[in-house]
Amino acid sequence: MTGSSRRAGSDGDRDGRLPVSLRRIATSPATLATFALLVVPFGLGWLETRLFSPLALPGYLIFTIGTAIGNAISPRLDFWVYWVPFLGGTAGIAVVAGFGYEWWCDRRDGGSSERL
Amino acid sequence: MRRRTYLAGGASVLAGIAVSGFVSRPPSNERLLEAAREYPDAGEGSSNTKTILSGTDHETPLYEIDAPNDGPTAMVFGGVHGDERGGIEAAREISDWRPDAGTLVVVPETNRVAVENNERRGVDGDLNRQFPADREPQSELAAGIWDAVEAHQPDVVLDLHRSLGIYSLHREFVGQAIFHSPDARGERLADRLNEDAVPWYLPFHKFTAGKTSLTGPLLFQHAARELGASAYLFETTEFLLDHSTMVELSRLAAAHVLELHGLLEVGGGA
Repeated sequence: MTGSSRRAGSDGDRDGRLPVSLRRIATSPATLATFALLVVPFGLGWLETRLFSPLALPGYLIFTIGTAIGNAISPRLDFWVYWVPFLGGTAGIAVVAGFGYEWWCDRRDGGSSERL
Repeated sequence: MRRRTYLAGGASVLAGIAVSGFVSRPPSNERLLEAAREYPDAGEGSSNTKTILSGTDHETPLYEIDAPNDGPTAMVFGGVHGDERGGIEAAREISDWRPDAGTLVVVPETNRVAVENNERRGVDGDLNRQFPADREPQSELAAGIWDAVEAHQPDVVLDLHRSLGIYSLHREFVGQAIFHSPDARGERLADRLNEDAVPWYLPFHKFTAGKTSLTGPLLFQHAARELGASAYLFETTEFLLDHSTMVELSRLAAAHVLELHGLLEVGGGA
C-alpha cells in the first residue's frame, strides 16, 4: 500500500464517524507490532519458562495482573482461561496504538502539505 | 514491499527475544549444585536406604547420607502431596547428594499412595494436616512419618511443595513463598533464590518469606514445635512455570538450605 492510497482511504472515512478506517487500523504496522510484542514473547515463555525474556514483561504484567483481578472476583477459574481476556485486551491495546499511529501519520502528512 | 517489512520486523522481534533472554537470564548456582553432587574432599561418607512403614500400603524409602565430618542433621521431604511432582523429582535427585558435614535424610515420596495416584490427598486425606499440636499424628501414615522424624532428631526440616498460584497475588494460593519457623533463615533463602533463579522481568515470581506460627497441623510446624528444628515449607508455583523450572527451584532451595545450615560448603560463599 502506498502513502497516497493510505491518505485516500482516510479522506473517504472523514465523512464517517472515524477519522481513520477500521481496516486501516487493523492492518497498521503499529497495530500488528504492538499485538505481536505483547503476545509473542509472553506466549513463548508460557510454553517454556526458559524462553521468557525482558520483551515478555508487558504481556507478563497484563496477564498476571489480569489473573489477580479475576481470581479475586472468581477464585475457581483455572488460570489458562485468562488467555481469552488477555488476547482480547492486548488486541484492544494494539488497536488503540494503531489508531494513534495512523492518526499521527495523517496529522503529520497534513501539516507537511500546509507548510508547502 | 510491505510483506517484506513485516517479515523483517517479525524476524527482528524473535531475534530480540532470543538475545535479550540469553543476556538477561539469571545465573542459577551451578557451583552450589556441584558442591552438593560431588563427594566431599574429606572422604565419601556413607549412605544407606531404609523403609518407612515397611509391609504396609504406605511403604516408602528413606535415604540417609552421612558426611565424613560431624554436623547437623537435615531432613528433606517430597511428595507429602502426591501431585506436586517438582518436589518429588527434586527430592529423588537430592537423595544422591553428598553433604560435606552432618547427615542428610531424604524421603522423596512421603505419601507414596498419593504419589502413585498423582493425587494431592492420600487414602487418609491430606497428610499435611495430620500433625496437630499437643496430639498424636492423625493417621497410620502420619504416625510412621513422625516416627522416622523422631528417630533422626533433625536440626533442619525442609518440605518441598508447589502451588497453582502466587502467594499474596492469587487468593488461596501460596506459590513462590517460603514459610519458616522463627529461628530459620527464610528471608536469606528467599533472597538467594531470587538472585539465582528469578529474572527481574518476572517480578511477581520473586520469593517471599514468612514466619509461621507453629500452632498449625503441618509437618514442618510439628517438627519445629516438638523438636525445635529450623523448619521450612517451600512452595514454588505452577503459574507460568514449567515442570523443569519447578524442579530447578526446589533443587536450589534444598541446596541453599543445606548450605545455610552448614551441611554444604562452597568456597568463597554460595
